Amino acid sequence: MKSNEFWGLLINPFRKVAGWQAFGLGLVFVGVMGLVGTLGHVAFDGALDMHLTDSLTYAQSFLYLGISLASVVLVMWLAGVMIAKQVRFIDILGTMTLAKAPFLLLAVVGLFTTAPDLTQITQNPMAVFSSVSFIVLLVLSLPVMVWSITLMYNGFKVSCGVQGSKLTLAFILGLFIAEIVSKLALHWLL
Amino acid sequence: MLPTSCPSCHAQLKVKSLTCESCSTEVTGSYDLPVLALLSDSDQQFILRFVKNSGSLKEMASELKLSYPTVRNMLNEIISKIEAYEK
Repeated sequence: MKSNEFWGLLINPFRKVAGWQAFGLGLVFVGVMGLVGTLGHVAFDGALDMHLTDSLTYAQSFLYLGISLASVVLVMWLAGVMIAKQVRFIDILGTMTLAKAPFLLLAVVGLFTTAPDLTQITQNPMAVFSSVSFIVLLVLSLPVMVWSITLMYNGFKVSCGVQGSKLTLAFILGLFIAEIVSKLALHWLL
Repeated sequence: MLPTSCPSCHAQLKVKSLTCESCSTEVTGSYDLPVLALLSDSDQQFILRFVKNSGSLKEMASELKLSYPTVRNMLNEIISKIEAYEK
């Protein structure tokens, strides 16, 4: 595989994989994320959120993931229906599920991360820097988030078949609304 | 590949003459190129493949090793081009 093709697949695998295939592959990543996240106490509690918690059960971990994913899929599908003539629910479901894959990296790093004590941070904010693993997680979270958003954007673009400002605006609004919906759903349900 | 635009000013070309290879009769005039001939070679190949696959985008996707929505988007782009030519 050529280098360009490899990088192209990393940011837009949806040219080749979408629908049920992407959903199946995405579910594998999400499943492993839920398992590893629970062990590392990393909760994916929002469309684009990740938090370290003191304790996390498998049920909570998968519920967080399920709600955040469902929010993104539903909102993006509605956004897609509004801007495109032909958009299949399964394409949105598949691409958005697979777009979660980069977060697996954070779940793995979370296994080796110890969160600094909150009371210590309140007294001395510099205490954050005492945990190297926490800094690594913080630094890594930005590119992972950018990667995931890029995947979501490309997935939305391929699924809707629309280009230009209409697509960008619908995506940004959709992502923003999905984040709010996921937070509200988590608040009401948990 | 049939040339469709003028190499000098890029305007759309028209067919001026057609020849019979059997008796060398030449028909001259000013005929529009068919819409399909105006499409790029890759677009024409796509249409041929589409017809050969009985219009099944699913089979096209599997043959081209691309996802279904990608192939559907390729078809939509060709439809837009055809509609633009028809105008």
